[in-house]
Amino acid sequence: MNIPNVNHYIHAYKVAPWRIQRQWVGSALLVVVTLAMVATLYLIVTSQAAIAGREIQDLTYSINLSQQVSSNLQTRLASLTSASAMERRALELGFRPMESDEVEYLVVPGYAKPDPFILNSQQLQLSALTIPPEYNQSLLDWMDENLLSTRGMQ
Amino acid sequence: MRQQYARRTQVLACAMGLLALAIVVQMTRIQNSAEAVIFSQQAQNYAYELKTYYPDRGEIYDRNGRLLAGNKTVYEIGVDLNTVRDPHAIAFAVSAELNMDYNQVLDVINNPPDGISYLVIADFIEAQQAFNLQELKKALQEQAPEGTLAGLTGLQFKPHPQRSYPEDALASNIIGFVTREGRGYFGIEGKYDTLLSGNAVQVLVPTDPNKAFEIPRVQNGTTLILTINRDLQAAAEEVLYDALLTYGAQGGTIVVMDPRNGELLAMAASRRMDLNQFWNYNVIYDQSSEFNPAISKPYEPGSVMKILTMAAALDSSTVNPNTTYLDTGSVLIGGVTIQNWDQQPWGVQNMVGCLQHSLNVCMVTITSQMGAEIFYDYMDAFGFGHLTGVDMEGEVSGRLKVPGDADWYPVDLGTNSFGQGVTATPMQMMMAVSSIANNGRMVMPHALYAMVRDGRQYNVPAQFAGSPVSEATADTLSEMLAISLEAEASLALVPGYRVAGKTGTAQIPVNGFYDSTQTNTSFIGWGPVDDPQFMIYVWLERPSESIWGSETAAPVFAEMAEKTVLLLDIPPDFIRHQLVAK
Repeated sequence: MNIPNVNHYIHAYKVAPWRIQRQWVGSALLVVVTLAMVATLYLIVTSQAAIAGREIQDLTYSINLSQQVSSNLQTRLASLTSASAMERRALELGFRPMESDEVEYLVVPGYAKPDPFILNSQQLQLSALTIPPEYNQSLLDWMDENLLSTRGMQ
Repeated sequence: MRQQYARRTQVLACAMGLLALAIVVQMTRIQNSAEAVIFSQQAQNYAYELKTYYPDRGEIYDRNGRLLAGNKTVYEIGVDLNTVRDPHAIAFAVSAELNMDYNQVLDVINNPPDGISYLVIADFIEAQQAFNLQELKKALQEQAPEGTLAGLTGLQFKPHPQRSYPEDALASNIIGFVTREGRGYFGIEGKYDTLLSGNAVQVLVPTDPNKAFEIPRVQNGTTLILTINRDLQAAAEEVLYDALLTYGAQGGTIVVMDPRNGELLAMAASRRMDLNQFWNYNVIYDQSSEFNPAISKPYEPGSVMKILTMAAALDSSTVNPNTTYLDTGSVLIGGVTIQNWDQQPWGVQNMVGCLQHSLNVCMVTITSQMGAEIFYDYMDAFGFGHLTGVDMEGEVSGRLKVPGDADWYPVDLGTNSFGQGVTATPMQMMMAVSSIANNGRMVMPHALYAMVRDGRQYNVPAQFAGSPVSEATADTLSEMLAISLEAEASLALVPGYRVAGKTGTAQIPVNGFYDSTQTNTSFIGWGPVDDPQFMIYVWLERPSESIWGSETAAPVFAEMAEKTVLLLDIPPDFIRHQLVAK
């Protein structure tokens, strides 16, 4: 007997204006919060990318600078040890050119004449700039790549 | 009451909506206005910066890792016209440090060409000068009141590489040079210009750091390792310099090559240039062939050619070492009488005596027996009239007239047999004679030992240009030449080492006639005879002390050979034989 009355109250509660307004406000707030979160995420990613970009530029500049300094030093070293410079220094130190009749050759068992100079100690040069995909890959690209790799594994 | 509030709210919402709509309309209008293109263009100007990334030019090393050509940093000094505060201060500082005209600098800054925002004032400025200006700019900025810009604001420094040659003039004829435009001329720089220079990359670099991925990857130029031995090169240049003074020669060249593989070890020219001052080229050289005569200046080589004539005669079985003939001092060919160098008869001679006394009559006699066709076939096989393909820019080939050419006469067969009437460069002579020193195999001379790119080294293999004569012929002729040098106690002999070789004295044609007082003297020799490790060519132009190759070029060969065996650690023959025996 009391059931209709209860239903009536429930219905009245559901259609109460203040409750509908709260639902609207809640929905609006949810949208605003979602947008704010996306905006914040975007700002964070963008700023990180910007910082990384600047760091890459700085590092590239440092690499170029180091290479320039290395080249300069190498050229300067070569100038200091040039044939004419070494001859001048040797003469200043009291050395003189050797005459052929002053040479005494000794037979050294097992001695092998060295091969001509080979620049095999030179390190493999890395590329001027290799940027990891994290810095130029969008979230969609990243998800796409992962999905593809997951499918490939399956 | 509630309805009234609702109406007010609706009005407010409409008003705000209209405002928003107005903003959107205005934005759209601005986007599509006439000024939008100008604004967009201005934004583009600041959004991107055109940058050229120049790769470092590859270095050049000798075979022992000595740097022959490298790079150093120089500066371009310019002015950012948008940020200039005090043109007078900039003009004063730049003119004082770089020794430029103050008024000229000031005028350029005040009246720049239209449409530019950056003005180059000077380029290729040494690092020290640029550093001085940078320090001055920094000091002025520190002294300026806080929040203000100092007088040198806008002055900019852009570093870039420039070619540098640590050995100055050493091996200049081999290396060549690079102009400020970055183009290589002559020698290795010219021949391998594309490899050495790499590819410059010009890109629009976004100022937006988010787009940093657009920074291009620039591949440096290829580094080259030469077969040249720097110390031997220095020795060759010293020997040549002394020879020019001793014998009063007007010019000359000395080339040292490994006859086993064609590796050029040294190549000296009488005229050399400090490669760091390449702009003196026109002062030093009258013509381009003087830059490296060994590859670009053909001449009539004279009696050194007799080696090849004898090789052809032996290989074609026209003669053998014991073949004799009666030398009467002259012989008639093509209606012209050919005489010996001393115009004397030498009686009965075998082929060793023929080479030992360098008898023209002998050569004409055996060439006549051989016939023109066989002789010229052999000369063609020896590479006469063709380029050797040596890897240096500026090579030219000499000329060998052959039957059928409009200017070939029967007498040419006779004169060609002893190296007159035919032109060749020292490089061509070395390549041809290498077949005698190298068991009949003719090597291709080259100066490149290896290339280094991306950290990997690619060695250049030796190349051979055929076998114009058999191994037996080559060995026989080497022995004959060694005996002939020993028999005449030649000044070319090297104590402790057995060498083979031949002198050459060629008269120089002046106004169509040979002048007996002006000669080109030459010597080509190699050793040790049983295991040739070096071949040396000496050419002296117009020596005044003596006109004979045996008295000028031969002793220069001996001196160069002595230095060569020392620097290449080639032990004397008896030590070497001991080593082989063990």
